[in-house]
Amino acid sequence: MLNFPAWKVALISLVLLWGALLALPNAFSDGFLGVAPRDTGATDAQSVAEFNEQQEAAEHSWWPSFLPTRKVNLGLDLQGGVYLLTQIDPEEVASNRLETLQADIVQALNRAPLIERDVPEQQGSTLPIRLRNPDQMDDAVRRLRRLNPSIGATGNEKVMSIEKSGPELITVSVSDSAKQALAADAQSKMIEIIRRRLDPDGVSEVSITPQGDTRIVIEAPGEADPRRIKDILSQAGRMTFNMADVDASAINAAQSTRPRPGWELLQDVEGRPILVNRTPVVTGSDIATANQGNDPDDNSAAVDFRLTGSGAERFGRTTASNRGRIFAIVLDGTVMSSPRINEPIWGGNVQITGQFTIEEAQDLAAIIEAGELPAKLNFIEERTVGPGLGADSIAAGTRASIIGLVLVGVFMIIAYGLIGGFAVGSLLANIVLILGALSGLGATLTLPGIAGIVLTIGMAVDANVIVFERIREEQRAGRSPSTAVIAGYERALATILDANITTFIAAAILYLLGSGPVKGFAVTLAIGIVTSVFTAFVVTRWFTAMWLRVAKPRKLSI
Amino acid sequence: MLLQYWPKKTNVPFMPLRMGALVMSTILIAASFFMIFTKGLNFGIDFSGGSVIEIERPDGAQEQDVREVMSGLGLGEVQVNAARGTGVDSVEVIVIRFATQRAEEGVDQDVAQQQANDRVLAALGEAFPGYILRSSAAVGPKVSGELLRSGLIALAVALLLMMAYISVRFQWKYALGAVAALFHDVIITMGMFSLTQFEFNLSTIAALLTIVGYSMNDTVIVFDRVREEARKYKKMPSADVIDLAINQTLSRTLLTSGTTLLALLSIYLFGGTVLSGMSFALIFGVVIGTYSSVFVASAVVLMLGLDQGDKPKREVTGFQGV
Repeated sequence: MLNFPAWKVALISLVLLWGALLALPNAFSDGFLGVAPRDTGATDAQSVAEFNEQQEAAEHSWWPSFLPTRKVNLGLDLQGGVYLLTQIDPEEVASNRLETLQADIVQALNRAPLIERDVPEQQGSTLPIRLRNPDQMDDAVRRLRRLNPSIGATGNEKVMSIEKSGPELITVSVSDSAKQALAADAQSKMIEIIRRRLDPDGVSEVSITPQGDTRIVIEAPGEADPRRIKDILSQAGRMTFNMADVDASAINAAQSTRPRPGWELLQDVEGRPILVNRTPVVTGSDIATANQGNDPDDNSAAVDFRLTGSGAERFGRTTASNRGRIFAIVLDGTVMSSPRINEPIWGGNVQITGQFTIEEAQDLAAIIEAGELPAKLNFIEERTVGPGLGADSIAAGTRASIIGLVLVGVFMIIAYGLIGGFAVGSLLANIVLILGALSGLGATLTLPGIAGIVLTIGMAVDANVIVFERIREEQRAGRSPSTAVIAGYERALATILDANITTFIAAAILYLLGSGPVKGFAVTLAIGIVTSVFTAFVVTRWFTAMWLRVAKPRKLSI
Repeated sequence: MLLQYWPKKTNVPFMPLRMGALVMSTILIAASFFMIFTKGLNFGIDFSGGSVIEIERPDGAQEQDVREVMSGLGLGEVQVNAARGTGVDSVEVIVIRFATQRAEEGVDQDVAQQQANDRVLAALGEAFPGYILRSSAAVGPKVSGELLRSGLIALAVALLLMMAYISVRFQWKYALGAVAALFHDVIITMGMFSLTQFEFNLSTIAALLTIVGYSMNDTVIVFDRVREEARKYKKMPSADVIDLAINQTLSRTLLTSGTTLLALLSIYLFGGTVLSGMSFALIFGVVIGTYSSVFVASAVVLMLGLDQGDKPKREVTGFQGV
């Protein structure tokens, strides 16, 4: 237990050095480490100055590239940010999907020989089709089966279930298993769209992760306004260009009775009524790019689109034959803008102007370019921490850790004297190893996580104490210092392992079943247990062994 | 150093005291159940749903001004309190709380809660332009139900796994003793939360699980000694064996509790308001856990009958690595 050959010493030193190296970056700024700062998009003078300073420092950094540069990941509660939990309604996904299939169904039933039926009315995710002629039943079912699309990984799952519910009634519905498959499919599509909306340039650290089959977790570090993210994500993002009519008499007529067939009455951003043709000239899939631009008239922020080739062609033809008329740019049922067509627009470049701020224009461009969401996102949980509170929490947590460490250290030295000092040394090594492990694993440190570290500081001496107590007993039984130390360590090992495995079980359960901050607590607790056992059992023993060899004490003052 | 002045052999007669301890524990557990069922636990929004919004006090604004802004939003009862924020130079904050919102027909309850929260933030923005948000949290009733369920499942699974581990390493009697001590700690700590009406939330569950781990750690160390002494002294009465083991581990038990409490006190005093509930639970749990590993766990083993003739199980020996 006490002989440490060169290879053992080398191994221990390596582990400690490696931990120290991994922990080291946390002591420096990113620029010093040669890591280019992240562009947060903030435009205030202070942030810009800070950004430039870090950029400058990063370029002249002497930090060698073979050394680690990764820091401990700070949780949202420490660096500030927004956490959102969203829920997809499978029922809604299913009925939206069935709606898109309606056009195909009409087409299939209209093929010669025509199958006559009542106009079907969709109710949620079912669509009853009542035939005029019961003899055509089998033919109708066959036609519907043929256009039934597959869903899911295996491809045996069909979207529609087609039932004969009576002599002339067919019920088309989405089965439960298809609903699940559709929801899972929608979930992965939505994660993609959310990412494109929130992070169009791919620079921010926003994380978007699935939870179960119908939920998505969004974490946006550094974001201080939960409503902004909700606004960006709560729009379906269905963008169309339609011909419009602002003629007052036509609008009046539409308001008093109903719009003429094929037209609907919408409102523009200021709430004014406007008649819009139901058939869009251009839809979201025709839009190639959307960016924030500037209105040439007054240089205010605007949104610029470029249409795809076929979209531009169609739009050009429509505008050429409709000079002097109005067209509407419609987003989720609201007319964003309704310019008059002064001349044909061929190049496929369109601009929406309005009273946008730069940020609004950027968000709108991101929404349009990202595409349409297959269903509404329902927000069911939100937690936001402002940057001020985050910084305060870090300060308080750090202070508590240092005070705790000092108190425990003083206590150990008072209780055990020199050998207590060894324990404090290994406690410091323990903290360094925990920080190193957190940085190396890329684990997230949360505020409860800091509490976990402090708790570890308190409990870490436990293993040392068990050993020391054993050594005291052995000494009383009349053994020499070195045999007492050996016996003490040998007899304490099983106890220490037993005792720590139970705590480790608790930490593992917390990690598996906990969420957010609790997970962070579990991580530091678990890492702390492993490093504590290592430092108490290996590092302190090594210190003690060296001291025994050098000082050759007659008696251990334990 | 100072520990040399600790008596070489303590002879505290723990087991003869166990009847008194048993009475006290029974009273505490009964009182805890009574508190939990009558007064209930002060569930935070994690488990009951609702919203908590904390803003820095806008210049020149008082709580009353914030109350007036809230009164026009139709949120039902809104609590507005002033407080001191976490931190060294703590800022003055205003905390706004309101319970789960009743949703209109056809609107998901969890979604309604979010909308209410957004309305509050919008109203604050209009009344106090440029106000600084410290934190905001809105949890719907469905989500809070799930959080509570998963928290309780976590506790139950942890207890079961530890019981299994102790059964494998020791024997079922020890496992029962350990688990009795754990239930004892968890119930009394929850009773404490009911009495003080401290907020009971996700961090509290984390604290309870940690207490379970810590108390287990303590219990195992005592049990280890009990087993060792029981094999050594086959003729000694069981109660004396247990007393001997507890006395032998007493200095370690007190030292470790001491250092852990020092560390936890520094979180409680200096770690800010966010951690105060969690560290309070941990402090209380360490005290009660230390007590239970000495009195409750061992007393249960004694009641079940200590086996002093059992063959030593295979030990982890020859740890010659590293």
